[in-house]
Amino acid sequence: MSKSPDGTAASDTRDLEHRLDALQLLPSGAVRRTPNWWSGVWPPAVAVLLLLTIWQTYCAIAQPRPDLYPSVFDVASAIGANWDSGRLPAALLTSLTRGGLGFVYAIILGTIIGFLLVEVPLLRRAFGPIISGLQVLPSVAWVPAAILWFGLTDATVYFVILMGAVPSIANGLVDGIRQVPSHIRRVGVVLGAGPVALHRYVLFPAALPGYLAGLRQGWAFAWRSLMAAEIIATGGKLGFGLGSLLQQNRELADLPGVLATVLTILALGIVIEVGVFTPIQRRVLLRRGLTEAR
Amino acid sequence: MTDAITLTGVSKFFDPSRPVLDDMSLHVKQGQFICVVGVSGCGKSTLLNLIAGLETASMGSVDVPSGRASVMFQDPSLMPWLTARGNVELALRLRGVGRNERAAEAQRLLTLVNLADAGDKLPHQLSGGMKQRVALARALAQDREVLLMDEPFAALDAVTRDLLHDELERVWRETGRTIVFVTHNVREAARLGDRVILMTARGGKIAREWEIDVERPRLIESPAVSSLAGSVSSALRAELAKVSNV
Ligand SMILES: Nc1ncnc2c1ncn2[C@@H]1O[C@H](COP(=O)(O)OP(=O)(O)OP(=O)(O)O)[C@@H](O)[C@H]1O
Ligand SMILES: [Mg+2]
Repeated sequence: MSKSPDGTAASDTRDLEHRLDALQLLPSGAVRRTPNWWSGVWPPAVAVLLLLTIWQTYCAIAQPRPDLYPSVFDVASAIGANWDSGRLPAALLTSLTRGGLGFVYAIILGTIIGFLLVEVPLLRRAFGPIISGLQVLPSVAWVPAAILWFGLTDATVYFVILMGAVPSIANGLVDGIRQVPSHIRRVGVVLGAGPVALHRYVLFPAALPGYLAGLRQGWAFAWRSLMAAEIIATGGKLGFGLGSLLQQNRELADLPGVLATVLTILALGIVIEVGVFTPIQRRVLLRRGLTEAR
Repeated sequence: MTDAITLTGVSKFFDPSRPVLDDMSLHVKQGQFICVVGVSGCGKSTLLNLIAGLETASMGSVDVPSGRASVMFQDPSLMPWLTARGNVELALRLRGVGRNERAAEAQRLLTLVNLADAGDKLPHQLSGGMKQRVALARALAQDREVLLMDEPFAALDAVTRDLLHDELERVWRETGRTIVFVTHNVREAARLGDRVILMTARGGKIAREWEIDVERPRLIESPAVSSLAGSVSSALRAELAKVSNV
């Protein structure tokens, strides 16, 4: 633009505006960064230590039968023994592989079903309630049927994982997209997005928090279903997972071994929750300026 | 000069017993800045949505020879997961601008709305006025001849609004867009418009209109703007009286 008589007035305005903007941008960042990781870790760590101390103190004072009420050290040495014998690492690997692979299948299937439910209203009305119902049905209930259908093979385990995780994932996506504010969708349309671009650049990213919540719940269900299936279905062509180890230790009447396995399963659940889902969800929510519900 | 927007005998019914717009005709010249005022519920947003193609007319024709218009709403509606730059780039991407040109074009547009160094900020880090400027940059990114604005500054404080008036006026002159600007605020209308249109409170017609040839850039507190705002305001109150007496 030419620097006409208004040149100075206009640049004054711009300058004032710019200084106001700078004021707005000033206090971000720095303050929030540091306490994140550590503040998330120490309270549960202290809680675990406290529980272990109470347990060990009880054993030291009351001296209960060690085969029924093993001490912390008994269980710790059982973990060591199971590890050294190679059973624990093998079981861990098998379960994690199955859980991970099954979860990936569940994500693919759940996402496809979710999109179909979003896009085809008739399908949503027809199958929506069924899928919500399936979410409530404990997927272990499918184990007997799955054994009859697939025999004692990995297919049984994967089937149960899918029945556990797919409804949560599909529902998460459906809810996520349904909760996209109408003005966001309208902006997508106004910006000229066709149906595919609207989904890819607007609706799916907007639905991400709901989708992630669905994934998280889907994983929890998948993991539980897997453990239950491994406890119930052993032998045949089935690999040896953590659930099988649990069952085997029970048959050996090895209570420290049973508790060691339970603690391993628990620890794994916590590690995946805290190590994978929490940080991802946290990043997504922080980016959008949404504070976490704690 | 050619018309950028032509409405001929446009009626719009949501409910068959009562037209929101009734046989309305309007010509907007290319490059004109036109403000639409009227009481709440008189059909301003409906008029804008018709021009935008978000609604279709029940009768009559709406013609925007340059194609679709870009629209800005009261709510900036930025994508909360994208930075200011990302939001502008999204509009460019949806317009089909290639990856390599997007960054430079987005930066040019952000500079145009005086946000050259806030490109990496996320919407929740921006003030209301800054968000609305990003929304303006995004609307401009569509590179459409006609820009429709539905009470874009209604939720902002007075100082920010004044600044944005200057900003918008400058952007308008630099880009030569045709702007239809809906507002409740008669001063705002008198400050910005080449032309102000007052809609009837009910019945969906144009009640009155004013041509404004006050020299730009204008000041909202200048006597010319104030006296014009005064006359629009009393006409608006007269319209309001007609419906509240019934
Ligand atoms: N989609 C719709 N369905 C039914 N009625 C509608 C719809 N959109 C608008 N209306 C009605 O049309 C009338 C005009 O609405 P419109 O939003 O255009 O008013 P407005 O002048 O923009 O009001 P405001 O100043 O409050 O924004 C209102 O009575 C409203 O209830
Ligand atoms: Mg409106």
